[in-house]
Amino acid sequence: MKGSLRNWTIALVAILLWVFASPAGAGTTKSINLAMLAGFKEDVLRAFLPAFEERTGIKVNLDTAPYGDLYKKQLLSLAGGAGRYDVLFIDEPWVPTLAEFLRPLDDLAKQVDPSDFVPTTLAAGSYKGKIYALPVDPNVQILVYRKDLFDQRGLKPPGTWAELLAIAKQLHDPSKDFAGFVMTAGSDVQTFAYLTLFLWSWGVELLDANNRAAVNTPAGKAAAEFYLELLKYSPPGVKGYTFADVTKTMQLGKAAMAVQWASGAKPMEDKEKSVVAGKLGYATVPKQARQTPIRGVWTIGVAKDSKNPDAAWEFAKWLASREFGLLAVKYPSTSSAIHNARYSVLKSPTFTGTLPYAEAILTSLEVAKERNRIPQFPDIQEQLRLTGAKITTGELSPADGLKELEASINRIMAK
Amino acid sequence: MGRIKTSRKTRESLGFILPGLFFLLAIDLFPLLYSLGISLYSWWLARPRDIRFIGLDNYQALLTDPAFYRATVNSLVFMLGAVPLEFLAGLGMALLFSGRLAGAQVLKTLILLPLFITPVVSSMMWRLILHPDLGVLNYYLTLFGLGRPLWLGTPGLAMASVILLDAWRTIPFMFLVMHAGMEALPREPYEAAAVDGATPFQAFWYVTLPLLKYIMLLTVLIRLMDAFREFDSIFVLTGGGPGTATETIQLLNYRVFGLGHMGLANALSILTLCFVAGMCYALMRLMARRSW
Repeated sequence: MKGSLRNWTIALVAILLWVFASPAGAGTTKSINLAMLAGFKEDVLRAFLPAFEERTGIKVNLDTAPYGDLYKKQLLSLAGGAGRYDVLFIDEPWVPTLAEFLRPLDDLAKQVDPSDFVPTTLAAGSYKGKIYALPVDPNVQILVYRKDLFDQRGLKPPGTWAELLAIAKQLHDPSKDFAGFVMTAGSDVQTFAYLTLFLWSWGVELLDANNRAAVNTPAGKAAAEFYLELLKYSPPGVKGYTFADVTKTMQLGKAAMAVQWASGAKPMEDKEKSVVAGKLGYATVPKQARQTPIRGVWTIGVAKDSKNPDAAWEFAKWLASREFGLLAVKYPSTSSAIHNARYSVLKSPTFTGTLPYAEAILTSLEVAKERNRIPQFPDIQEQLRLTGAKITTGELSPADGLKELEASINRIMAK
Repeated sequence: MGRIKTSRKTRESLGFILPGLFFLLAIDLFPLLYSLGISLYSWWLARPRDIRFIGLDNYQALLTDPAFYRATVNSLVFMLGAVPLEFLAGLGMALLFSGRLAGAQVLKTLILLPLFITPVVSSMMWRLILHPDLGVLNYYLTLFGLGRPLWLGTPGLAMASVILLDAWRTIPFMFLVMHAGMEALPREPYEAAAVDGATPFQAFWYVTLPLLKYIMLLTVLIRLMDAFREFDSIFVLTGGGPGTATETIQLLNYRVFGLGHMGLANALSILTLCFVAGMCYALMRLMARRSW
């Protein structure tokens, strides 16, 4: 009995020593924590991270979360003062909310040749005239279409939404399991993007000059009705589709057209995974009253309360660099690529020679529209997703959906 | 003399109770009161310097929000759809196993399997099985010409799917508890019933059921509470969709919390707590009436 007690004590002391001694042992290498998107783009980063770690001696711990949870995690941890993250991979509508907890980078950004960034992408990481995050992946909605089928039938890529609908109707063939158009509907996070794209295209603004909701208009109703109309020429399971499903449908050659974020185009051009690689054409999204693809730049920011600000900045600098951009171009990402926001990369032969949609990205970025730069936007975006889901699943009519959306937005803005 | 004895006894028992009581206060009551406190504030994480006491405004906002009513109804539908189903199936299986059954041991192990899988993992698995275009279930259905139902993509069907999958996961629990209860029942009443010429159904109705009532109520109580607070499986399967067809109170709370509205999220938690506590109280009262 006595002997066993002694053994237990020794074991306990040994464990405690081990627990407390190990961080001290790792003293020389700096380590930083990165809040990163899970699944998408993560593979690209992981592929090149070891080289960065070896060169700089900085250990990067990835804490990943799916898109729907990443903002929650970042906000809760930054606002809670937990000091959990040193660097954060931030989607641009979160920047105004998170800016308060991020380190202003205006001075530091001078080290990285800011004039090389496409100006709209630099704006994505800025708030109230200050840079809080550097652009990493300049995403924008683009139109993807089956160039081979279009050529066969003598069709031109649609310039207006009405033309797109007509082509979708013409090519839609359920008996062959082939859809005219693919997107998301239902409650997926991307549903907000399609509803917003239609509302904007029809000339609707989410907020008026006095920051009151302005969606419940005849144009808004027409946009929502168009969403429903287009659903008729989409795959049967579209109400359960996600970003990855849209890409997958195109890869399997089961749809004629899609509107997708540019980062999803890369996997469609992967010969290993896509039967339509090399057969696709790309263009700016069609217009109605105006042509307004959504800009969705992924940025990298440094937490104000980071205990390793220098290492964090080193990492941010690398992720937004030309070197990383050129490496990432060549990487066959599974579901979502990381492109680069620098002219020197976007116009380089490596980029234009490798990616057939290079031109579409640049021209789309030039006309892309940014979401309202207000801290309330993540809340509004969530409402857009919900309303889009309710309208597309038939829970609410377009008119009732927009009425509810308007009330919700006003409630959010009143807070 | 007696007095001193009592007080000593009280003191002794206090010594036993206090550590537990302290623990309970620290890990239960304190967070609860803290949460109650927060629910009276307007606190949005995005505006860390603007935290205001607003009394019951959060509760008022919730009670006038259609999303809250929708979520409450969804939670109730889920709870009242899943628990009776699980209860009846569990009871039926327990009865089946109370007789002599060939291969009972192996079967029992197989039946309990869903209980051993982490809910998130099993839900992921089911989501793949039920995928409208890529799922194995719809593949076989189309082979038989039965079409491709959107199991998780049609509002009514999504709720039914979520309920059935919850049943798949928790019927083993119901079975296990009631089976154990039946095994522990005394044999004498059954012998007496047999002597009186009772049919198997009469033996079940007049002997098994009354003897098992307490255990049955207990399992139902546990499951009702669990079902009302169900989160992980619904979150993985539908994320509350399509639309808000399966958005229960817990999912709504997660959404509100995730947007950083601490006051509102805590008010929602407190309302959930009140509801579950009320339900518990009613059922406990029922259990305490041990006239049966």
